[in-house]
Amino acid sequence: MSTSYLMTRLSIAPIVPLWLLIILLAAGLAIAFMQYRVIRKRLGPRKAFILSLLRLGTFSLIILFALNISVTSKKEHRTPPAIAILLDTSQSMGLPAKDAGESRLDQARQILLGGPLSGSLGGPKPLLTSLDETYEVRLYALSESLRELEEKELPALNPGGKGGSINDALKKLAGQVSLAIVLSDGTTGLNSSSPGLTDTSLPKDLPVLTIPVGDADTYRDIVISALKAPHVAFRGRELTIDATITSRGYKNVTIPVLLKDGSKLVTAKSVHFTRSRESVVVSFSFTPDEIGTHMMSVSSPPQVGESITSNNSISVLMRAVRDKTRVLLVSGNPSPNYRFMRMALKNDPSVDLLSFVILRTPSNVINVPLQEQSLIPFPVDTLFSTELKAFDLVIFDNFPFHVYLNQKHLEAIREFVGSGGAFALIGGPNMADGGRIASAPLGEVLPVGLSQEEDYSRGSSSGVRLTSAGAAHPLTRLLPDKMLNLRLWNEMPSLDGLNLLKVKGSGTALLESAVSPAHPILTVGSYGKGRVLTLATDFSWKWDAGMVARGGGNWAYLRFIERTVRWLTKDPGIDPISMVLPDRPEEGQDAEIKMSIGEDVNGPSGSARTREPILFSVFSPQGVKLLSQLKASGAPGEYTGSFHPERAGIYRVRVESRTGSLEESLVIGGRMEAFDAAPDHESLRSISAATGGKVLSASEDVLKEIAPFVASAKRGFVEEREVPLWSLPYALALIVAFLAGEWYLRRRWGLA
Amino acid sequence: MISRRTFLRMGFAFSAGLSLKRHGLAAGGAFPQFNITQVRYRGGQWDPNPQFTDAIVEELELRTSVSASKERRTITLTEPDLFSCPFLYMAGKYEFDPWTSQEREALKRYLTFGGFLMAEDAMGIRGFGFDAAFRREMKQIFPIHEMQKLPPDHSVFQSFYLINSIGGRQKINAYLEGVVIDNWTPVIYSQNDLSGAWSRDRFGKWLNECVPGGEAQRLAAFKLGVNIIVYSLTSDYKKDLVHHPFIKRRQNL
Repeated sequence: MSTSYLMTRLSIAPIVPLWLLIILLAAGLAIAFMQYRVIRKRLGPRKAFILSLLRLGTFSLIILFALNISVTSKKEHRTPPAIAILLDTSQSMGLPAKDAGESRLDQARQILLGGPLSGSLGGPKPLLTSLDETYEVRLYALSESLRELEEKELPALNPGGKGGSINDALKKLAGQVSLAIVLSDGTTGLNSSSPGLTDTSLPKDLPVLTIPVGDADTYRDIVISALKAPHVAFRGRELTIDATITSRGYKNVTIPVLLKDGSKLVTAKSVHFTRSRESVVVSFSFTPDEIGTHMMSVSSPPQVGESITSNNSISVLMRAVRDKTRVLLVSGNPSPNYRFMRMALKNDPSVDLLSFVILRTPSNVINVPLQEQSLIPFPVDTLFSTELKAFDLVIFDNFPFHVYLNQKHLEAIREFVGSGGAFALIGGPNMADGGRIASAPLGEVLPVGLSQEEDYSRGSSSGVRLTSAGAAHPLTRLLPDKMLNLRLWNEMPSLDGLNLLKVKGSGTALLESAVSPAHPILTVGSYGKGRVLTLATDFSWKWDAGMVARGGGNWAYLRFIERTVRWLTKDPGIDPISMVLPDRPEEGQDAEIKMSIGEDVNGPSGSARTREPILFSVFSPQGVKLLSQLKASGAPGEYTGSFHPERAGIYRVRVESRTGSLEESLVIGGRMEAFDAAPDHESLRSISAATGGKVLSASEDVLKEIAPFVASAKRGFVEEREVPLWSLPYALALIVAFLAGEWYLRRRWGLA
Repeated sequence: MISRRTFLRMGFAFSAGLSLKRHGLAAGGAFPQFNITQVRYRGGQWDPNPQFTDAIVEELELRTSVSASKERRTITLTEPDLFSCPFLYMAGKYEFDPWTSQEREALKRYLTFGGFLMAEDAMGIRGFGFDAAFRREMKQIFPIHEMQKLPPDHSVFQSFYLINSIGGRQKINAYLEGVVIDNWTPVIYSQNDLSGAWSRDRFGKWLNECVPGGEAQRLAAFKLGVNIIVYSLTSDYKKDLVHHPFIKRRQNL
């Protein structure tokens, strides 16, 4: 560091007004002159002059004190220019620098510290040593963020993490250093926001010298770099999925690209690369035929000599929803219950209803030829074998199934529910099909069983009442206010016919008969992925007509049917639980899921607020339950669940509360997914060009190249020091000396 | 001592019990889901064919899967139980007293929210007697939904049989009329006296002769009766797309 003096100056800051000082000075002169005049006669003019001069000096010094004179001096100090060395430590730097040799990070390290891969960048000495001798060197690791390094950390530095933004790093360093040297393979910024290499926001006052590492010519890789698919699709409607396949080093090669739905191969296409570095967009057509979550993946098999094979596939979750809810209603006979239910379902524009009514049983006698009959054959095989999956909800209304369905059909229904379909059994004399319901495959699915031999009772009317579960359940919540809803159900018209059932362990009764002994009227449950419901009466139509009779409308019945369909088919709008999944979480990072649970805020008694017990479970792709955390987010019913996925794959997340449950799938992406680790020296060239720097090759002398960039760099600081004179002990000593001298001479000359 | 009637009743019950399996299907009449409720009104003659139900209910149970009761109930329009009746029947010969606004409102609500009324003019003279009074009341209740002739492809003609001729005790009209609201016809009206064709005495003898078509006309009346009842219980079910090809093919046979 060198120092040079710039200037010294005096300044005054009087502690009393200046005019007062002038008066005092004049008074001092007058007193000294008068003293001279008085003592001249006794001591002679020489001695009198000396004494008066001393007095005047004292006065003058006191007045100088009052003037508060300061001396300000400025010195300029110069320091060597600061340069920043940014060492890319993102995960791509762990790949071989050339073929299967040392890593790109090793190459960068050797450039700095010296080694076979360093070339002649630093001259005879290692580059870092050479730079240290001339400049103030600041070393940084650039990964997801910019971190300052000690030189001793360099040998143990490991690659990892996403590429950070060079842009952001340079902005941070602007103004602090005169020059930045970047050692990188140029892939930083991938897997994160683009660095915007030609962005005008790059700092212009910070030239960047880039030293590329890695060898783009020998790098070989196939990357599925992007997958464009809608998050939500409609069942039965064709959609397009676009995948971008990028080749690095595979010229004149044809590779297969596969589209899979889960583990099922949907289609395969061939992609031919004509150039060494090329990206091709492949479009696939796909028609989801089942509602629910589909994990769509595009992949290509590993090629010979590929650097990374884990970026050969990419997955995305797509939820297939229904544009309309397809309901199959099979009624055992024409009845008021069928008609009112049909009218309610037809009233709902979101329902696509296909209904069959058994108009004639085998015991009925037909008395007209075929051309006079409107009866059509009941397409049992078509409905319950091939087409069953096309429906969202199957309803049996007082249907004696054993007459029409065989074991295979019943097993198909069980499988349909198990795989996510919905099934409802509506009551009546034939609901239990003469007791067969208990033993058939349907019995396994249903949430109820037979309570006694007589499974149907007619004659003694009974009202209904909500159970505690029914009071909180969304299906029976016809009115938002809990108490009004309770009253509404209590006042529903009586039912003239009831099926006498009992709730099984898997079922939850929402409505029960008001007369003792209470029998479950409306019972819900789940089987596999599907939901089931039983309505143990064939007189629910009276909830429509009976309410109209009282002067109200039939809205309660219509709403009940609508909510029944929506709950059974897992309409997210009615489910009390909703989840917000994180966007593209990655392995090794915590995944957070925000949940909203429709809690019963009024509490069971309608007065106190309660918080329901919530069960949050996470299952790994292998089905193993993982450690997870659940915490309340503050607002009632808002929760955050989290877990730590170690590996990529599809994880199942399940939330259960008293009012329902919800399960979702979550794709945890791999770190290398869509990761193109090909050295991108062009991007480094762009950075240098945009900042006025240059790209350095291994054969160049860095010190020589740096010099022009830092020559004009003025770096240093000005030291300014201000010393008030009155604070100097010399001034005080001078006053004391004047006074003491005068006192001494007076004594000596006989004046004391 | 057991009377002969009690003995026979017990014997019948015992034999019926043997014939049904323990968990057999519910017998059709054991838990009927359908019955006819006839409207009583002031003035005129509300019950011109008091013995019509047995034959039509027997026909209904013989031909269809409808579980019906032979019991005929009667009701006035102001009784609260009106809304518990899925099928209202109304007939007459003569002009009846105008309904009160309360009666009209009750019937309107009943019919608007899913109820069904089959009405018959047993006299069969257009613009006279029951016909005039009934049309007057319908106009009051449904001022913007006038009674209209039901087209041949109306669901009521396809609900069970494919019907192309209108039967009855008399052949006044070759069509049915009705009040149509959207896809539902809550009121079906005939002047052919269908119930007159269905009426029989307790010994099974028909009470009225069907003119001019004789027994074929009576059979047509029964078929239409079955269709009207099935329509009242299934609405426009036969308009569902799945039925179209079958019905069209049979009509072309």
